[in-house]
Amino acid sequence: MKLRVVLVVTLLWSFAAPPMVQGQSSKIRLEGDWVRIDPDGVGSFGGLNGVIPPAQLLPGVSAGGGGGRGRGGGGRGGRGAPPVSESATPNPEGVPYIVVAQPCFGGVGRSNGALLVSPDSGGVHFVEHKDEVIFAGERGGVRHIYTDGRSHPNVWTPTPAGHSVGRYDGSTLIVETSGFTPGMVPGGGVRTSETRLVERFEMSPDGNRLTITYTWEDPKVYQKPHVYRYYFERAPTVESKGTKVSYALEEWCDAGDPIEKQSIIPPKQIIK
Amino acid sequence: MKRFCVLTSVIACLVVLPTSARTRVPLQEQRGTPDLSGFWELSFDSRNVPRANLLPAITRAKLDAHAKKDAYAIRWCNLLGVPFIMDPGRPLDIRQGSTAIIIVPENSSPPRYLYTNRSAHISDDIFDPSTNGDSIAHWEGDTLVADTVGFHGEHGISAIPGGGYRTGKSRLVERYRLLKEGSILSVTFTWTDPSVFRTPHSYEFRYQRLPATYEPRQWLSCDPFDEDRARFLESPSSPKPTSRAVSKE
Repeated sequence: MKLRVVLVVTLLWSFAAPPMVQGQSSKIRLEGDWVRIDPDGVGSFGGLNGVIPPAQLLPGVSAGGGGGRGRGGGGRGGRGAPPVSESATPNPEGVPYIVVAQPCFGGVGRSNGALLVSPDSGGVHFVEHKDEVIFAGERGGVRHIYTDGRSHPNVWTPTPAGHSVGRYDGSTLIVETSGFTPGMVPGGGVRTSETRLVERFEMSPDGNRLTITYTWEDPKVYQKPHVYRYYFERAPTVESKGTKVSYALEEWCDAGDPIEKQSIIPPKQIIK
Repeated sequence: MKRFCVLTSVIACLVVLPTSARTRVPLQEQRGTPDLSGFWELSFDSRNVPRANLLPAITRAKLDAHAKKDAYAIRWCNLLGVPFIMDPGRPLDIRQGSTAIIIVPENSSPPRYLYTNRSAHISDDIFDPSTNGDSIAHWEGDTLVADTVGFHGEHGISAIPGGGYRTGKSRLVERYRLLKEGSILSVTFTWTDPSVFRTPHSYEFRYQRLPATYEPRQWLSCDPFDEDRARFLESPSSPKPTSRAVSKE
Protein backbone atom coordinates (compact mmCIF):
# COMPACT_ATOMS: atom_id res chain seq x y z
CA MET A 1 0.00 0.00 0.00
CA LYS A 2 2.81 2.38 0.99
CA LEU A 3 4.59 1.63 -2.29
CA ARG A 4 1.42 2.40 -4.21
CA VAL A 5 1.12 5.73 -2.44
CA VAL A 6 4.73 6.56 -3.30
CA LEU A 7 4.12 5.70 -6.92
CA VAL A 8 0.97 7.78 -7.09
CA VAL A 9 2.76 10.73 -5.49
CA THR A 10 5.63 10.33 -7.97
CA LEU A 11 3.16 10.25 -10.80
CA LEU A 12 1.36 13.37 -9.62
CA TRP A 13 4.63 15.23 -9.05
CA SER A 14 5.77 14.45 -12.55
CA PHE A 15 2.61 16.07 -13.91
CA ALA A 16 2.81 19.09 -11.65
CA ALA A 17 6.51 19.86 -11.87
CA PRO A 18 7.46 22.11 -14.75
CA PRO A 19 10.17 20.76 -17.03
CA MET A 20 13.63 21.78 -15.91
CA VAL A 21 15.78 23.45 -18.47
CA GLN A 22 19.35 22.33 -18.46
CA GLY A 23 21.79 25.04 -17.56
CA GLN A 24 19.17 27.74 -17.24
CA SER A 25 17.79 27.35 -13.76
CA SER A 26 20.15 29.35 -11.57
CA LYS A 27 22.63 30.94 -13.91
CA ILE A 28 23.23 34.61 -14.56
CA ARG A 29 21.16 35.40 -17.58
CA LEU A 30 22.45 36.85 -20.80
CA GLU A 31 18.92 37.97 -21.56
CA GLY A 32 18.36 41.69 -21.75
CA ASP A 33 19.73 44.83 -23.33
CA TRP A 34 23.44 45.54 -23.86
CA VAL A 35 25.59 48.30 -25.32
CA ARG A 36 29.16 48.03 -26.50
CA ILE A 37 31.72 49.93 -24.43
CA ASP A 38 35.18 51.34 -24.94
CA PRO A 39 37.17 49.85 -22.04
CA ASP A 40 40.50 51.20 -23.27
CA GLY A 41 39.23 54.73 -23.78
CA VAL A 42 40.30 54.91 -27.41
CA GLY A 43 37.43 57.27 -28.05
CA SER A 44 36.25 56.31 -31.53
CA PHE A 45 34.97 53.36 -33.51
CA GLY A 46 38.06 53.54 -35.68
CA GLY A 47 40.08 53.34 -32.50
CA LEU A 48 38.04 50.40 -31.20
CA ASN A 49 38.69 48.52 -34.41
CA GLY A 50 42.32 49.57 -34.27
CA VAL A 51 42.96 47.72 -31.02
CA ILE A 52 41.83 44.42 -32.54
CA PRO A 53 44.91 42.24 -33.05
CA PRO A 54 45.65 41.97 -36.77
CA ALA A 55 44.67 38.67 -38.32
CA GLN A 56 47.58 36.40 -39.21
CA LEU A 57 46.68 35.44 -42.75
CA LEU A 58 48.32 32.75 -44.80
CA PRO A 59 50.56 33.95 -47.61
CA GLY A 60 48.51 34.83 -50.66
CA VAL A 61 45.32 35.55 -48.75
CA SER A 62 44.16 39.12 -49.22
CA ALA A 63 43.31 41.03 -46.08
CA GLY A 64 39.70 41.99 -45.70
CA GLY A 65 39.17 45.61 -44.86
CA GLY A 66 42.74 46.22 -43.75
CA GLY A 67 44.14 46.02 -40.26
CA GLY A 68 41.42 46.71 -37.84
CA ARG A 69 39.06 48.23 -40.37
CA GLY A 70 37.07 45.19 -41.31
CA ARG A 71 33.36 45.13 -40.91
CA GLY A 72 31.05 42.24 -40.49
CA GLY A 73 28.86 43.24 -43.35
CA GLY A 74 26.26 45.72 -44.40
CA GLY A 75 23.67 47.23 -42.20
CA ARG A 76 21.23 50.06 -42.06
CA GLY A 77 21.74 53.74 -42.20
CA GLY A 78 23.99 53.90 -45.21
CA ARG A 79 26.95 52.33 -43.50
CA GLY A 80 29.05 50.87 -46.23
CA ALA A 81 27.07 52.65 -48.90
CA PRO A 82 29.12 54.48 -51.50
CA PRO A 83 29.63 58.09 -50.47
CA VAL A 84 28.92 60.94 -52.77
CA SER A 85 32.17 62.47 -54.00
CA GLU A 86 33.20 65.35 -51.85
CA SER A 87 33.55 68.77 -53.26
CA ALA A 88 36.91 70.43 -52.90
CA THR A 89 35.15 73.67 -52.10
CA PRO A 90 33.72 73.96 -48.62
CA ASN A 91 30.00 74.51 -48.50
CA PRO A 92 28.78 77.94 -47.46
CA GLU A 93 27.65 78.30 -43.92
CA GLY A 94 24.38 76.53 -43.25
CA VAL A 95 24.47 74.37 -46.39
CA PRO A 96 24.70 70.69 -45.46
CA TYR A 97 27.11 68.29 -47.02
CA ILE A 98 25.53 65.38 -48.88
CA VAL A 99 27.60 62.46 -47.69
CA VAL A 100 25.46 59.36 -48.18
CA ALA A 101 24.43 58.41 -51.70
CA GLN A 102 22.18 55.54 -50.64
CA PRO A 103 20.92 56.09 -47.11
CA CYS A 104 19.49 53.20 -45.11
CA PHE A 105 21.01 50.66 -47.45
CA GLY A 106 24.19 48.68 -47.00
CA GLY A 107 24.57 47.52 -50.56
CA VAL A 108 23.85 43.84 -49.95
CA GLY A 109 20.45 44.14 -48.35
CA ARG A 110 19.37 46.20 -45.42
CA SER A 111 19.59 44.46 -42.08
CA ASN A 112 20.94 41.39 -43.74
CA GLY A 113 21.79 39.70 -40.52
CA ALA A 114 25.53 40.07 -40.82
CA LEU A 115 25.84 43.06 -38.58
CA LEU A 116 25.58 41.11 -35.37
CA VAL A 117 28.66 39.10 -36.17
CA SER A 118 30.41 42.34 -35.27
CA PRO A 119 28.02 44.59 -33.36
CA ASP A 120 28.59 48.32 -33.60
CA SER A 121 27.24 51.23 -31.60
CA GLY A 122 23.60 50.19 -31.59
CA GLY A 123 22.13 48.38 -28.62
CA VAL A 124 21.87 44.60 -28.81
CA HIS A 125 19.27 42.40 -27.15
CA PHE A 126 19.08 38.77 -26.14
CA VAL A 127 16.05 36.65 -25.41
CA GLU A 128 16.91 33.21 -24.06
CA HIS A 129 14.70 30.21 -24.52
CA LYS A 130 15.74 26.63 -23.85
CA ASP A 131 15.67 25.79 -27.57
CA GLU A 132 16.91 29.00 -29.09
CA VAL A 133 18.60 32.26 -28.19
CA ILE A 134 17.59 35.30 -30.24
CA PHE A 135 20.32 37.91 -30.66
CA ALA A 136 18.84 41.09 -32.12
CA GLY A 137 20.34 44.48 -32.90
CA GLU A 138 18.74 47.89 -32.90
CA ARG A 139 20.49 48.78 -36.15
CA GLY A 140 19.14 45.70 -37.88
CA GLY A 141 19.94 42.04 -37.94
CA VAL A 142 18.62 39.09 -36.00
CA ARG A 143 20.57 35.94 -35.27
CA HIS A 144 18.94 32.63 -34.42
CA ILE A 145 21.18 30.55 -32.14
CA TYR A 146 19.80 27.05 -31.75
CA THR A 147 20.40 25.52 -28.33
CA ASP A 148 18.19 22.47 -28.74
CA GLY A 149 21.09 20.17 -29.59
CA ARG A 150 20.72 20.25 -33.35
CA SER A 151 23.80 20.24 -35.54
CA HIS A 152 24.55 22.27 -38.62
CA PRO A 153 22.46 21.18 -41.61
CA ASN A 154 24.10 19.08 -44.29
CA VAL A 155 22.68 21.31 -46.98
CA TRP A 156 22.97 25.02 -46.31
CA THR A 157 23.03 28.05 -48.54
CA PRO A 158 25.62 30.41 -47.06
CA THR A 159 24.28 33.59 -45.46
CA PRO A 160 25.98 36.67 -43.99
CA ALA A 161 25.19 35.47 -40.45
CA GLY A 162 25.81 31.78 -41.12
CA HIS A 163 24.18 28.96 -39.16
CA SER A 164 24.65 29.07 -35.41
CA VAL A 165 24.29 26.42 -32.73
CA GLY A 166 24.96 27.10 -29.06
CA ARG A 167 25.38 25.46 -25.70
CA TYR A 168 25.85 26.68 -22.17
CA ASP A 169 28.93 26.14 -20.07
CA GLY A 170 27.65 27.43 -16.74
CA SER A 171 26.53 30.96 -17.49
CA THR A 172 28.63 31.24 -20.64
CA LEU A 173 26.94 30.76 -23.96
CA ILE A 174 29.25 29.17 -26.52
CA VAL A 175 28.13 29.60 -30.12
CA GLU A 176 29.59 27.86 -33.12
CA THR A 177 28.80 29.29 -36.54
CA SER A 178 29.60 28.18 -40.06
CA GLY A 179 28.07 28.59 -43.50
CA PHE A 180 29.01 32.22 -44.04
CA THR A 181 28.95 34.11 -47.28
CA PRO A 182 32.42 35.44 -48.11
CA GLY A 183 33.14 38.71 -46.36
CA MET A 184 35.41 40.73 -44.16
CA VAL A 185 36.24 40.17 -40.52
CA PRO A 186 37.41 42.82 -38.04
CA GLY A 187 41.17 42.99 -37.67
CA GLY A 188 41.82 42.55 -41.38
CA GLY A 189 40.48 39.01 -41.48
CA VAL A 190 38.33 37.39 -44.08
CA ARG A 191 35.73 34.67 -43.99
CA THR A 192 34.70 32.13 -46.59
CA SER A 193 31.99 29.52 -46.76
CA GLU A 194 34.40 27.15 -44.97
CA THR A 195 35.29 29.52 -42.13
CA ARG A 196 34.17 28.61 -38.61
CA LEU A 197 33.48 31.14 -35.88
CA VAL A 198 33.29 30.32 -32.18
CA GLU A 199 31.85 33.02 -29.91
CA ARG A 200 31.92 32.91 -26.13
CA PHE A 201 29.30 35.16 -24.51
CA GLU A 202 30.70 35.45 -21.02
CA MET A 203 29.24 37.52 -18.23
CA SER A 204 30.89 39.05 -15.19
CA PRO A 205 29.92 37.52 -11.84
CA ASP A 206 27.54 40.39 -11.14
CA GLY A 207 25.86 39.92 -14.54
CA ASN A 208 26.46 43.52 -15.60
CA ARG A 209 29.35 43.08 -18.04
CA LEU A 210 29.46 40.94 -21.13
CA THR A 211 32.56 39.91 -23.04
CA ILE A 212 32.22 38.31 -26.43
CA THR A 213 35.35 36.47 -27.50
CA TYR A 214 35.49 35.83 -31.23
CA THR A 215 37.65 33.05 -32.60
CA TRP A 216 37.76 32.70 -36.37
CA GLU A 217 39.23 29.47 -37.69
CA ASP A 218 39.97 28.55 -41.26
CA PRO A 219 43.11 26.59 -42.15
CA LYS A 220 42.91 27.94 -45.69
CA VAL A 221 42.87 31.54 -44.50
CA TYR A 222 44.52 31.96 -41.10
CA GLN A 223 47.98 30.96 -39.87
CA LYS A 224 46.42 30.67 -36.44
CA PRO A 225 42.94 31.33 -35.09
CA HIS A 226 42.06 35.01 -35.22
CA VAL A 227 40.92 36.01 -31.74
CA TYR A 228 39.60 39.32 -30.41
CA ARG A 229 37.05 40.54 -27.90
CA TYR A 230 34.17 43.01 -27.68
CA TYR A 231 32.96 44.37 -24.36
CA PHE A 232 29.45 45.35 -23.34
CA GLU A 233 27.54 46.69 -20.38
CA ARG A 234 23.89 46.37 -19.54
CA ALA A 235 22.05 49.13 -21.40
CA PRO A 236 21.55 52.27 -19.34
CA THR A 237 18.16 52.48 -17.69
CA VAL A 238 15.79 55.40 -17.77
CA GLU A 239 13.43 56.48 -15.03
CA SER A 240 9.85 55.87 -16.13
CA LYS A 241 6.94 56.20 -13.75
CA GLY A 242 9.22 55.66 -10.78
CA THR A 243 10.91 52.57 -12.21
CA LYS A 244 14.26 52.15 -13.90
CA VAL A 245 13.76 50.41 -17.20
CA SER A 246 15.63 49.62 -20.38
CA TYR A 247 14.08 48.56 -23.64
CA ALA A 248 14.88 48.05 -27.30
CA LEU A 249 14.86 51.20 -29.36
CA GLU A 250 13.79 51.37 -32.98
CA GLU A 251 16.19 52.94 -35.45
CA TRP A 252 14.19 54.65 -38.13
CA CYS A 253 15.73 55.41 -41.48
CA ASP A 254 13.75 56.46 -44.55
CA ALA A 255 15.69 55.99 -47.76
CA GLY A 256 13.18 58.20 -49.57
CA ASP A 257 13.81 61.16 -47.31
CA PRO A 258 16.42 63.50 -48.84
CA ILE A 259 17.46 64.62 -45.38
CA GLU A 260 18.91 61.15 -44.76
CA LYS A 261 21.59 61.94 -47.33
CA GLN A 262 22.94 64.93 -45.53
CA SER A 263 25.33 64.97 -42.68
CA ILE A 264 27.38 67.76 -41.27
CA ILE A 265 26.07 71.28 -41.53
CA PRO A 266 28.90 73.76 -41.22
CA PRO A 267 28.21 75.63 -38.01
CA LYS A 268 28.06 79.35 -37.78
CA GLN A 269 31.59 80.64 -37.37
CA ILE A 270 32.29 82.89 -34.43
CA ILE A 271 34.98 85.43 -35.10
CA LYS A 272 36.52 86.90 -31.98
CA MET B 1 -3.09 -8.45 -5.13
CA LYS B 2 -0.38 -6.15 -3.77
CA ARG B 3 2.00 -7.21 -6.52
CA PHE B 4 -0.72 -6.62 -9.10
CA CYS B 5 -1.34 -3.08 -7.85
CA VAL B 6 2.36 -2.22 -7.93
CA LEU B 7 2.68 -3.63 -11.43
CA THR B 8 -0.37 -1.65 -12.55
CA SER B 9 1.07 1.55 -11.11
CA VAL B 10 4.43 1.00 -12.82
CA ILE B 11 2.73 0.32 -16.15
CA ALA B 12 0.61 3.43 -15.66
CA CYS B 13 3.77 5.46 -15.12
CA LEU B 14 5.46 4.04 -18.20
CA VAL B 15 2.45 4.53 -20.43
CA VAL B 16 0.94 7.77 -19.18
CA LEU B 17 4.09 9.85 -18.70
CA PRO B 18 5.43 9.78 -22.24
CA THR B 19 1.93 10.30 -23.61
CA SER B 20 1.38 13.27 -21.36
CA ALA B 21 4.74 14.72 -22.37
CA ARG B 22 3.65 14.56 -25.99
CA THR B 23 0.24 16.06 -25.58
CA ARG B 24 0.62 18.45 -22.70
CA VAL B 25 0.81 22.13 -23.63
CA PRO B 26 4.46 23.04 -23.12
CA LEU B 27 5.10 24.89 -19.89
CA GLN B 28 7.54 27.71 -19.49
CA GLU B 29 10.27 26.84 -17.07
CA GLN B 30 9.39 27.16 -13.41
CA ARG B 31 6.49 29.52 -13.94
CA GLY B 32 3.70 27.19 -14.80
CA THR B 33 2.62 29.37 -17.71
CA PRO B 34 2.21 27.97 -21.20
CA ASP B 35 5.24 28.29 -23.45
CA LEU B 36 4.22 30.02 -26.67
CA SER B 37 7.69 29.54 -28.15
CA GLY B 38 7.96 28.04 -31.58
CA PHE B 39 7.68 28.75 -35.26
CA TRP B 40 4.18 29.79 -36.25
CA GLU B 41 2.61 30.20 -39.65
CA LEU B 42 -0.69 31.50 -40.98
CA SER B 43 -2.50 29.48 -43.59
CA PHE B 44 -5.17 30.55 -46.08
CA ASP B 45 -7.91 29.78 -43.54
CA SER B 46 -6.19 31.25 -40.50
CA ARG B 47 -7.85 34.65 -40.42
CA ASN B 48 -11.23 35.68 -39.06
CA VAL B 49 -11.39 39.40 -39.75
CA PRO B 50 -14.72 41.26 -39.59
CA ARG B 51 -15.10 44.68 -41.13
CA ALA B 52 -14.09 47.49 -38.79
CA ASN B 53 -16.70 49.93 -37.56
CA LEU B 54 -15.07 53.21 -38.51
CA LEU B 55 -15.98 56.70 -37.43
CA PRO B 56 -17.81 58.81 -40.03
CA ALA B 57 -14.77 61.08 -40.05
CA ILE B 58 -12.72 58.29 -41.65
CA THR B 59 -13.50 59.20 -45.20
CA ARG B 60 -12.43 57.50 -48.39
CA ALA B 61 -9.94 60.30 -48.90
CA LYS B 62 -8.32 59.65 -45.52
CA LEU B 63 -8.12 55.92 -46.19
CA ASP B 64 -6.56 56.60 -49.59
CA ALA B 65 -4.03 58.94 -48.05
CA HIS B 66 -2.97 56.25 -45.58
CA ALA B 67 -2.85 53.63 -48.33
CA LYS B 68 -0.49 55.94 -50.18
CA LYS B 69 1.76 56.22 -47.14
CA ASP B 70 1.78 52.43 -46.80
CA ALA B 71 2.81 52.11 -50.44
CA TYR B 72 5.57 54.62 -49.78
CA ALA B 73 6.84 52.49 -46.87
CA ILE B 74 7.00 49.46 -49.15
CA ARG B 75 8.61 51.41 -52.00
CA TRP B 76 11.41 52.70 -49.75
CA CYS B 77 11.96 49.49 -47.77
CA ASN B 78 11.02 51.21 -44.52
CA LEU B 79 10.41 49.38 -41.26
CA LEU B 80 6.90 47.96 -41.53
CA GLY B 81 5.79 47.44 -37.94
CA VAL B 82 2.58 46.29 -36.28
CA PRO B 83 0.08 45.08 -37.40
CA PHE B 84 1.78 44.10 -40.66
CA ILE B 85 4.52 41.96 -39.12
CA MET B 86 1.94 39.72 -37.44
CA ASP B 87 0.90 38.61 -40.95
CA PRO B 88 4.08 39.01 -42.97
CA GLY B 89 3.63 36.11 -45.40
CA ARG B 90 6.32 34.04 -43.69
CA PRO B 91 6.46 32.21 -40.35
CA LEU B 92 7.04 34.02 -37.08
CA ASP B 93 9.63 32.88 -34.57
CA ILE B 94 8.26 33.46 -31.07
CA ARG B 95 10.55 32.89 -28.07
CA GLN B 96 9.52 33.28 -24.50
CA GLY B 97 12.36 34.48 -22.30
CA SER B 98 12.54 35.43 -18.65
CA THR B 99 11.96 39.16 -19.20
CA ALA B 100 10.30 39.39 -22.59
CA ILE B 101 8.67 37.45 -25.36
CA ILE B 102 10.22 38.21 -28.71
CA ILE B 103 8.38 37.91 -32.01
CA VAL B 104 10.75 37.75 -34.97
CA PRO B 105 9.42 38.10 -38.51
CA GLU B 106 11.33 36.83 -41.51
CA ASN B 107 11.80 40.27 -42.99
CA SER B 108 13.92 43.28 -42.24
CA SER B 109 11.50 44.83 -39.77
CA PRO B 110 12.72 44.78 -36.20
CA PRO B 111 11.32 42.12 -33.87
CA ARG B 112 8.59 42.86 -31.35
CA TYR B 113 9.36 42.67 -27.65
CA LEU B 114 6.45 41.95 -25.33
CA TYR B 115 7.91 42.87 -21.97
CA THR B 116 6.81 40.66 -19.12
CA ASN B 117 9.13 42.25 -16.56
CA ARG B 118 7.20 45.49 -16.15
CA SER B 119 3.55 46.34 -15.73
CA ALA B 120 3.55 49.93 -16.96
CA HIS B 121 4.27 51.48 -20.31
CA ILE B 122 7.26 53.71 -20.79
CA SER B 123 6.30 57.32 -20.08
CA ASP B 124 5.13 59.31 -23.09
CA ASP B 125 7.79 61.90 -22.43
CA ILE B 126 10.53 59.27 -22.82
CA PHE B 127 9.26 56.83 -25.41
CA ASP B 128 9.77 57.73 -29.05
CA PRO B 129 6.78 56.45 -31.00
CA SER B 130 7.73 53.52 -33.21
CA THR B 131 6.26 51.17 -35.77
CA ASN B 132 5.99 48.42 -33.14
CA GLY B 133 5.05 50.61 -30.18
CA ASP B 134 5.71 49.72 -26.54
CA SER B 135 4.31 46.33 -25.55
CA ILE B 136 3.84 44.95 -22.06
CA ALA B 137 2.34 41.56 -21.34
CA HIS B 138 1.00 39.51 -18.45
CA TRP B 139 -0.65 36.16 -17.98
CA GLU B 140 -4.34 35.71 -17.19
CA GLY B 141 -4.52 31.99 -16.61
CA ASP B 142 -3.44 30.31 -19.82
CA THR B 143 -3.79 33.51 -21.85
CA LEU B 144 -1.02 35.99 -22.48
CA VAL B 145 -2.46 39.49 -22.65
CA ALA B 146 -0.28 42.04 -24.43
CA ASP B 147 -1.02 45.74 -24.38
CA THR B 148 0.64 48.05 -26.90
CA VAL B 149 0.66 51.83 -27.18
CA GLY B 150 3.21 54.32 -28.48
CA PHE B 151 2.68 53.69 -32.16
CA HIS B 152 4.04 56.10 -34.70
CA GLY B 153 1.23 57.59 -36.72
CA GLU B 154 3.17 57.95 -39.95
CA HIS B 155 5.89 55.33 -40.09
CA GLY B 156 5.60 51.86 -41.59
CA ILE B 157 2.48 50.13 -42.84
CA SER B 158 -0.43 51.48 -40.83
CA ALA B 159 -3.32 49.53 -42.40
CA ILE B 160 -5.27 47.42 -39.91
CA PRO B 161 -6.91 44.20 -41.12
CA GLY B 162 -10.64 44.78 -41.54
CA GLY B 163 -10.26 48.50 -42.15
CA GLY B 164 -8.85 51.62 -40.63
CA TYR B 165 -5.30 52.41 -39.71
CA ARG B 166 -3.16 52.92 -36.68
CA THR B 167 -2.36 56.38 -35.42
CA GLY B 168 -0.40 57.76 -32.51
CA LYS B 169 -3.54 57.34 -30.40
CA SER B 170 -4.08 53.67 -31.18
CA ARG B 171 -4.04 50.98 -28.52
CA LEU B 172 -3.75 47.29 -29.32
CA VAL B 173 -4.66 44.51 -26.89
CA GLU B 174 -3.69 41.00 -27.98
CA ARG B 175 -4.70 37.76 -26.31
CA TYR B 176 -2.43 34.80 -27.05
CA ARG B 177 -3.74 31.33 -26.28
CA LEU B 178 -2.62 27.84 -27.25
CA LEU B 179 -5.28 25.55 -28.68
CA LYS B 180 -5.39 21.91 -29.68
CA GLU B 181 -2.66 20.77 -27.29
CA GLY B 182 -0.31 23.49 -28.39
CA SER B 183 -0.52 22.94 -32.13
CA ILE B 184 -2.47 26.17 -32.75
CA LEU B 185 -1.76 29.65 -31.43
CA SER B 186 -4.84 31.85 -31.33
CA VAL B 187 -4.19 35.57 -31.23
CA THR B 188 -7.13 37.93 -30.82
CA PHE B 189 -6.29 41.50 -31.75
CA THR B 190 -8.42 44.37 -30.44
CA TRP B 191 -7.73 47.89 -31.64
CA THR B 192 -9.14 50.97 -30.02
CA ASP B 193 -8.55 54.47 -31.29
CA PRO B 194 -10.91 57.36 -30.58
CA SER B 195 -9.88 59.00 -33.84
CA VAL B 196 -10.52 55.97 -36.08
CA PHE B 197 -12.90 53.35 -34.66
CA ARG B 198 -16.49 53.80 -33.56
CA THR B 199 -16.25 50.59 -31.52
CA PRO B 200 -13.25 48.43 -30.59
CA HIS B 201 -12.17 46.45 -33.64
CA SER B 202 -11.37 42.78 -32.96
CA TYR B 203 -10.19 39.99 -35.20
CA GLU B 204 -8.49 36.65 -34.69
CA PHE B 205 -5.58 34.88 -36.33
CA ARG B 206 -4.88 31.20 -35.73
CA TYR B 207 -1.25 30.32 -36.33
CA GLN B 208 -0.21 26.76 -36.98
CA ARG B 209 2.87 25.40 -35.21
CA LEU B 210 5.67 24.37 -37.54
CA PRO B 211 8.02 21.50 -36.69
CA ALA B 212 10.63 22.40 -34.07
CA THR B 213 13.29 21.65 -36.66
CA TYR B 214 12.09 24.51 -38.86
CA GLU B 215 14.71 27.16 -39.51
CA PRO B 216 13.92 30.72 -40.60
CA ARG B 217 15.06 31.63 -44.05
CA GLN B 218 17.42 34.51 -44.70
CA TRP B 219 15.08 37.31 -45.60
CA LEU B 220 15.01 38.67 -49.09
CA SER B 221 16.89 41.84 -49.77
CA CYS B 222 14.90 45.04 -50.22
CA ASP B 223 16.81 47.59 -52.27
CA PRO B 224 15.13 51.00 -52.36
CA PHE B 225 17.61 52.08 -55.03
CA ASP B 226 16.75 49.30 -57.47
CA GLU B 227 15.24 51.33 -60.28
CA ASP B 228 13.58 48.37 -61.94
CA ARG B 229 11.88 47.45 -58.67
CA ALA B 230 10.81 51.05 -58.21
CA ARG B 231 9.32 51.14 -61.72
CA PHE B 232 7.48 47.90 -60.98
CA LEU B 233 5.98 49.29 -57.80
CA GLU B 234 5.22 52.72 -59.11
CA SER B 235 1.87 53.40 -60.66
CA PRO B 236 -0.03 56.62 -61.37
CA SER B 237 -0.98 56.73 -57.71
CA SER B 238 2.48 55.78 -56.48
CA PRO B 239 3.94 57.65 -53.56
CA LYS B 240 6.65 60.13 -54.34
CA PRO B 241 9.29 61.25 -51.90
CA THR B 242 7.61 63.74 -49.67
CA SER B 243 8.02 67.42 -50.13
CA ARG B 244 10.77 67.52 -47.52
CA ALA B 245 13.66 69.23 -49.20
CA VAL B 246 17.24 69.14 -48.05
CA SER B 247 17.34 71.37 -45.07
CA LYS B 248 19.40 74.48 -45.12
CA GLU B 249 19.85 74.48 -41.41
